[in-house]
Amino acid sequence: MNRAESKYFHAIQILEDNCTGCTACVRVCPTEAIRVRDRKAYIDPYRCVDCGNCVTVCEFHAIIPASDPLDIINNYKYRLAIISSSFFGQFSEDISYANAKEAVLRLGFDEVAEEASVTDFMIKMIREYIRENREKRPILSSNCPAVVRLIQVKFPSLLPNLFHQEAPMSILTRFLREQICQKMGLKEEEVGIFLIVPCVAHVTAVHQPEGAYKHLQDGAFSTGMIYGKVREIIKDVQNHPSDIDTYPHGLTWALSGVQAELVDADDIRALSVNGIDNVMDILSRVEDHYLDQYDYIVLRSCTNGCVGGCLNVENPFVAMSRIKKMIKEGHSADADITDLETLYRKGEFQVSPLAPRPIMELDKDIKKAIQKMKKINEFLTMLPGLNCSACGSPSCYALAEDIVLGKATLDDCVVLKRKPTDIE
Amino acid sequence: MAEYWYFADGFEERVRGHLSSSSEAEVDLDFTIPEKDFNAAGKGSSELKNLLKRLGVDSDVLRWIAVASYEAEINVAAHSKGGLMKSAVHDDLIHVSFIDDGPGIADIEQAMIPGFSTADDLVRELGFGAGLGLPNIQKNSDAMHIVSERGNSTLLEFFIFFG
Repeated sequence: MNRAESKYFHAIQILEDNCTGCTACVRVCPTEAIRVRDRKAYIDPYRCVDCGNCVTVCEFHAIIPASDPLDIINNYKYRLAIISSSFFGQFSEDISYANAKEAVLRLGFDEVAEEASVTDFMIKMIREYIRENREKRPILSSNCPAVVRLIQVKFPSLLPNLFHQEAPMSILTRFLREQICQKMGLKEEEVGIFLIVPCVAHVTAVHQPEGAYKHLQDGAFSTGMIYGKVREIIKDVQNHPSDIDTYPHGLTWALSGVQAELVDADDIRALSVNGIDNVMDILSRVEDHYLDQYDYIVLRSCTNGCVGGCLNVENPFVAMSRIKKMIKEGHSADADITDLETLYRKGEFQVSPLAPRPIMELDKDIKKAIQKMKKINEFLTMLPGLNCSACGSPSCYALAEDIVLGKATLDDCVVLKRKPTDIE
Repeated sequence: MAEYWYFADGFEERVRGHLSSSSEAEVDLDFTIPEKDFNAAGKGSSELKNLLKRLGVDSDVLRWIAVASYEAEINVAAHSKGGLMKSAVHDDLIHVSFIDDGPGIADIEQAMIPGFSTADDLVRELGFGAGLGLPNIQKNSDAMHIVSERGNSTLLEFFIFFG
């Protein structure tokens, strides 16, 4: 998606030459953001939430995740990588957590930090926030950017329920940038901070953060790309390892269920939900106040949480099992969180309230919307009801809606087009 | 034949006015509710909610409609031999009616008492039947109307205005 084309940037790119117009992506999109017209898929940037379903389902390499190339780190004097917690579940068990982390450092960074190092702080902050905001129930986790955008487009009435504080990698970015500048005597723009991320939603969030008061990171690299480069040099690291701190206990952040267990307490009831279809079902019930008995709901768009991200290389269940093993067997370095707590109490990690981006409404005026719905129903009775997507819209209903909104015509229906000749 | 009417403050005239005008619905949505099928029960109200989101109905009003229709749909599935859910969207209100195949409500006044329930073990095992269905529908609607007789079918309808 060309950034100049729309006010919404997305880390998903369609390669027209590879697209066969098969409509597999159209059918898996949870917000019905994709249409195929003239045998090519295109994404409505307003509706897309960057869940990555289309990237995973495309067999023709026509929908590819756009992340940054590694050489952009050369534009900075000091380079810091922040690794997302799911990263360490990607490697086979002969490659240790510490070796994998050190290999990332040797790719050209001056320092490597881990999302997992602030997990304890996050859990503490989330619990405090839940206790201080008794009037809001349930509080919804805001770390998954795809979930945040899903709420903006399909469940805008739930925006006030979001946990209104920065996500761990953003907290680390703010904290470490300041620390590095002071320690090294560098200007802010001389320090490059990059995330290694498991999904396109996080790449999008780096380039277009929602609710952040300022642009935080300087780039995002896909786990898959970094994984490949780490594999190339891992033997050398294994033969000449050096001392490096790791935070296995914090890796829980990558696993949706385990995070909920950590927040759970005598006075806090937490629920964990993952997979975007489950997330939508739960959000719909939260809207109707059927889940008010929960204080906190961890919502992750991908299967099992961030280990299920589409930029990962390992199966989410295997990655989860490996991470659980690391948590059980490892010893975490002590992370000093007093400075972070001071910043939190000063309100440094607050995010601005998010604006709704409703996609469902047919019209701002309810009377006009009703008239449009009436027309949609009229077209719907003319359509075959096969929901075959051959027209390029996800269902017969969606085509009827597209026709009424002027984005398609009845001629787009492949089945109707054939009928008259059959009858003759 | 027993009949029960409830009107929220100030709504009796509006509802009676609407009924006497016998205006035709702009958009209809019908659903069949099978007996004791708790996998399917809830689909009708969820579809209705999607329809109303497309119409841009205010989120508070949307929630009242979603809760009232969900409770009523579960009631039909849990207590009757199955029935029909009919939603009629007008310019300024929604009228949702549920018509089942019996066996009727023995005592409507009693059924309106929060916590009173005649749900059988199967229904309770599935987590329904707390005796809050009808009171909840009433609480969330601008008007509610029940017509029932023991041994016969029940009509439950509610009206919720958009503004």
